[in-house]
Amino acid sequence: MLGKASSALSTVALSGCGALSHAYIQHPPLKCGIPGSRGLFYDDGNKLLLSITSDQVFAWKTAVPFALFDAPTPDSIGEGPVLSIRYSLDAKLIGIQRSTLEIEFRNRDNGEAFFYRCKSESESILGFFWTDCPSCDIILVKSSGLDMFAYEPELKALRLVESKRLNVSWYIYTHESRLILLASGMQCKSFTGLQFSSGGIIRLPRFEMAMAKTEANEKPVLAAEDIHIVTMYGRIYCLQVDGIAMLLHLYRFYRDAVVQQGSLPIYSSKIAVSVIDNVLLVHQVDAKVVILYDIFADSWAPISAPLPLLLRGLPRANGSSSRSNAKDTAHVEVNAVSDREGIIYGDGWTFLIPDLICDAAHGALWRIHLDLEAIAASNSEVPSVLEFLQRRRLEASKAKKLCLAITRTIILERKPLPLVARAMDVLVSSYCHSIKTGSTLLGRMVGSETTTTSGIRHVDNSRTGVDGSLTKIARHKKFMRESATASGVEEEPQQSRTQYVENDSLDLASGFTVNRSSISLVSDSEENGGSERMKSSSGEPLEKSQSKSPYFLGAKEGTGAETSGVEVAQTTLQTQMLGPSGNPLNSDVSEQQESQIASPAISPDEMYGSVFAPVEEEMAVDPSYLVAVFVEYFRSAALEKLKVHRNLNVLTIQLLARSERYAELGLFIINKILEPSKEVAFQLLDSGRHNSQTRKLGLDMLRQLSLHHDYVLLLVQDGYYLEALCYARKHKVNTVRPSLFLEASFASNDSQHLAAVLRFFSDFIPDFRNSSDFNTYRRILNEMSSSVAV
Amino acid sequence: MGLASTTTGSEGIQFCIFDLKRGQEEGQELDKILFFFPTDLPFSTQLSVIGLSEGLITFTRIFSPEAACEVIEAERHSHVFYQAEPDIWMVMVVEKNKEAEAIWRIGALQQVLKEVHSLFMMFHGSIRALLEKEPGGGLARSHLYFFVMDYLTDFLSGKKLQLPSFRDCLKERGTVQMLTVGREAAIEVQSLVRVVESACAGNAACSSLVLFQDLLVSTTLSPDDTVNLFAYAILRLTPLALSSGSSSWSYLRKGSPASLITTGFIPGNSVSVTEPTYTSRDTSPGRQGQRYHVPRPLQRDKWSKGKDGFLVLETSGAEVGGLNSSTPTVWLRQTDERMYLCVFQQKNLTIILLIPVSSMINGEQGISMVKRQILENASLKILKVDEKLSRGWGGENAYHVRGYRYLLFDGDRNVSRASPPGKVTTLSKDSLLSLNRLREEVDLEKNRARHDDPSHEKDLEVCIRAKNNAWVIARVTRGKELYMVLEKANETLLYASDAVEKFSNRYCNGAFSLD
Repeated sequence: MLGKASSALSTVALSGCGALSHAYIQHPPLKCGIPGSRGLFYDDGNKLLLSITSDQVFAWKTAVPFALFDAPTPDSIGEGPVLSIRYSLDAKLIGIQRSTLEIEFRNRDNGEAFFYRCKSESESILGFFWTDCPSCDIILVKSSGLDMFAYEPELKALRLVESKRLNVSWYIYTHESRLILLASGMQCKSFTGLQFSSGGIIRLPRFEMAMAKTEANEKPVLAAEDIHIVTMYGRIYCLQVDGIAMLLHLYRFYRDAVVQQGSLPIYSSKIAVSVIDNVLLVHQVDAKVVILYDIFADSWAPISAPLPLLLRGLPRANGSSSRSNAKDTAHVEVNAVSDREGIIYGDGWTFLIPDLICDAAHGALWRIHLDLEAIAASNSEVPSVLEFLQRRRLEASKAKKLCLAITRTIILERKPLPLVARAMDVLVSSYCHSIKTGSTLLGRMVGSETTTTSGIRHVDNSRTGVDGSLTKIARHKKFMRESATASGVEEEPQQSRTQYVENDSLDLASGFTVNRSSISLVSDSEENGGSERMKSSSGEPLEKSQSKSPYFLGAKEGTGAETSGVEVAQTTLQTQMLGPSGNPLNSDVSEQQESQIASPAISPDEMYGSVFAPVEEEMAVDPSYLVAVFVEYFRSAALEKLKVHRNLNVLTIQLLARSERYAELGLFIINKILEPSKEVAFQLLDSGRHNSQTRKLGLDMLRQLSLHHDYVLLLVQDGYYLEALCYARKHKVNTVRPSLFLEASFASNDSQHLAAVLRFFSDFIPDFRNSSDFNTYRRILNEMSSSVAV
Repeated sequence: MGLASTTTGSEGIQFCIFDLKRGQEEGQELDKILFFFPTDLPFSTQLSVIGLSEGLITFTRIFSPEAACEVIEAERHSHVFYQAEPDIWMVMVVEKNKEAEAIWRIGALQQVLKEVHSLFMMFHGSIRALLEKEPGGGLARSHLYFFVMDYLTDFLSGKKLQLPSFRDCLKERGTVQMLTVGREAAIEVQSLVRVVESACAGNAACSSLVLFQDLLVSTTLSPDDTVNLFAYAILRLTPLALSSGSSSWSYLRKGSPASLITTGFIPGNSVSVTEPTYTSRDTSPGRQGQRYHVPRPLQRDKWSKGKDGFLVLETSGAEVGGLNSSTPTVWLRQTDERMYLCVFQQKNLTIILLIPVSSMINGEQGISMVKRQILENASLKILKVDEKLSRGWGGENAYHVRGYRYLLFDGDRNVSRASPPGKVTTLSKDSLLSLNRLREEVDLEKNRARHDDPSHEKDLEVCIRAKNNAWVIARVTRGKELYMVLEKANETLLYASDAVEKFSNRYCNGAFSLD
């Protein structure tokens, strides 16, 4: 355990010193070079990278980790120009825009095709996308407005559902937000927004974007590249680059309003943005640095200094895993690498929302990652670092490990109590939040139909396993029991699905909390955005099932890890069963399982097992400081109505008794700061060996807990056998052997008492007169009284 | 004797402190006397009181060297003995007078003696140490004089000393009264305590007491020290003690802010005193006219609240170099360490922080640093705690239980709780007298049991139907004691015992419910 702690610490320290970046791209990238490629497209609806050859399209799934990339799936699309190309969301059709007037639709199964052509020559098609909004399947954006169509498979045609007339200069859309922004006006700064959510179409009010004027009083025209739609914490934002004011404006979308939230300074004429795990990355492309923002609270301060992106894992530098080496055929590798080194923020880079970089020139697709260690190490404000880490979902287990390490460190370094207190607050409220939001979503989930994959299941299991015995929601316990008894894994889809949503719903709710400042504007587009974001993080398979409820997420879970699902589920089942038997350290399990953690929230069990117990074992911290830390943790937990690990109560008693602070110990017990339990009572009895007052507290607690047997036994042991008899009679304790009472009364050398005890048992226990005890002590009593008489 | 209408007006009460080791030779007897009240009694009378006491002590020591005489009951007087330190005795002589309600419980009077000595020790160290420091005895005498006189001032009722009588039998001196707090509030308090105590830099082992009004909320001191500091806080530090300068809810603190000392016996409030009475009887040469600087921590109206919320003790002793600090210090019994006494008050909360003198290298400067730290780190918390406790506080009658007049006393923790004084006064004199009598008996029984077998605590239960048909009940169980008076109660014993049972289950976690 200790080794674990210190190793985690050292990694923090190491990366802290050596870090030159807070975000990195990991070598190897996805190679999407196809001989004869005529262009790359990104289908964000299906998260596919598409490469077009003369008559074929090659698709790579980008939702799964790059290491798992398969060979691209080819589809024939026939000859002809391709302006844009998108797979339908159920992956059955491919839509290919051939010209500004014509879109071809091909069925992937049989290759049948049909065409959509504009009726009038005056309008041109700006683009199209597929949607999962209930009323339509595909949206066409034209210079004259929007057309929404439903696809009729039998007719092999599109049926117009609705159209909306307006002049459109250009548009942007992200599937992630389901939001389209249509620019119009002279400066293209007047916007109409629509959200095609799975709950229906939401029309946003028209709004204008602010733009600074140039000195010459020219009116700049807003270009599509200057606008980005991003979702963070389930909230949808629009970012607008104002190159003249050198500001990046943030607008937040509500159902009935668009509100400018603030502006970030920019240091480059070319700006790109990415969102990784809800962290906003503003790439200052000219300056070749990236600045990170965590737009969660009302803080607009960057969370890190501007640093370049780092290219990690070059084979030459540090040797990436052998598997990826083997996989990459190495014919261009050596040369390519040296080329690539110079091309961070190269001209060929296209930033794909949310977290991808496509290097068309080199045929490579990179994914941006956050370096949580580096970020944590670069900030000395511990509570805010913890808050930041607690909000991370993508690398939840890493974030959690870091949180644990940081917490251990501040205690070992004896940081001031107010700081420790705030750190505790952060961790506890984060955990409670994760629990609470789970239960709030439960009601809405019930009844939605779905199929469950084992992939989902093992996520649940690992989480429940980590929570261990302390998860207080009864439903959890039930689930654990059932899953532990089930031999297979494929049981109770309803239950496990509920849990899955519970895990993910953290994000939703974090959105909600922040909204309190603007309650009136909270919209459900937010929820959609939130669920969308989660889907993207967990991956979306090509075969997409229909979902009716906006809260329904289960079936969209990725299938990438499915193969290992069963094994993982079994190992977690084992840890679960070990859990109650008193292994609180089960958070330290295999990497494989940790990678399944959905949230970095730290349960009271882990707090005890991975922070308090190891720190206490190290004995480096003075007990009174440690008690003070515990008190702060108790305070945080009490605020959130969270029960602490019961061993923590015991540990607190040990610490107080060790430093002979019995008066305080008494206060802790009397005021129930340490909640009464059998463990606590026995620890008090043990610690009270040298302090009768403390021992009495333990006895009293036994009595108050109605642990009659133990209470009577201890009274007898202490020589209060008469009191014990009274008590035993009153509370009908008949499990304590009569001989114990008799021995005790004999030891007191008082024949009257011995006679009384004998009489008591003769009266109240049938057949006692025939027992050997009776005869023995009867004889002893006779001897005693005769000796007195003499 | 004692009825002379002196300025002190202490009818029938004498109080002396003497050292058996001193004045052994003929003609030197006066040297024994360290303190005598009333101060204006002729030496011959003083000596006769002390002579009698000494004689009895010497005599009873023959039979019981460990615990000599505790009390002499004469026809008209009781002599109450307390051996404060080896060979240093405190004796109180009280007159018995049924008409004047002068009916005493010896245990209660002993507690008074014990309390004044404990407080004296806390501020000045032991009497023996003072005597050793200055063998002439002048130092000890002047310290004792001011301290005990200041202490007795609190018992002044009009012009009369009002010692705890039978009317106070539902009180236990030398105990702490605690506020009952819920878990959440208790955690907040503990959190506050840790933050306050961490204000002292380094590894200094600070201690603290937190009071809400006149009730203790938290302590990190040993039980003995807690009792002493609590008693002092009630006397001089709590908001009530500060504001009135006289009465608190406590039954004793009634009366005027008059001081026994200012009533004219010793001139003025002079801190530095030449004491003609003592020095004249000081037989050792060269002591004449020696001046002693005597800090008077028990002097009334000397504490006041500063702008920053910290209490300041007014001192005028700038002339003396002995203490260059305006922050008073106290000795802790547990650790035998000298501590600065730093008191912060906000609204209902009084926080007493004790900082080891040894840890403060630069004295006053270090203390103001600590104070600043507390203000910075804890002021919000203090507000919060005060608010929380105020919300849960039921007022001065919070611990009243309808139909019961009770005293609950935990001898292990030195904690007591009783019916509010206002409710106790509704009891008839007969009931109080009966209970007083009963307590006297229980005291005796307890002492006897303690002599027999110190490790085994006896249980005891007495229910008495008094003349006025009130039930007077005492129960002792493993260190906890419960006394109660039930007036207007049903006549059966079963009823009385049920009433106790109910009370025990409801308010004592069933501690007295052992059938």
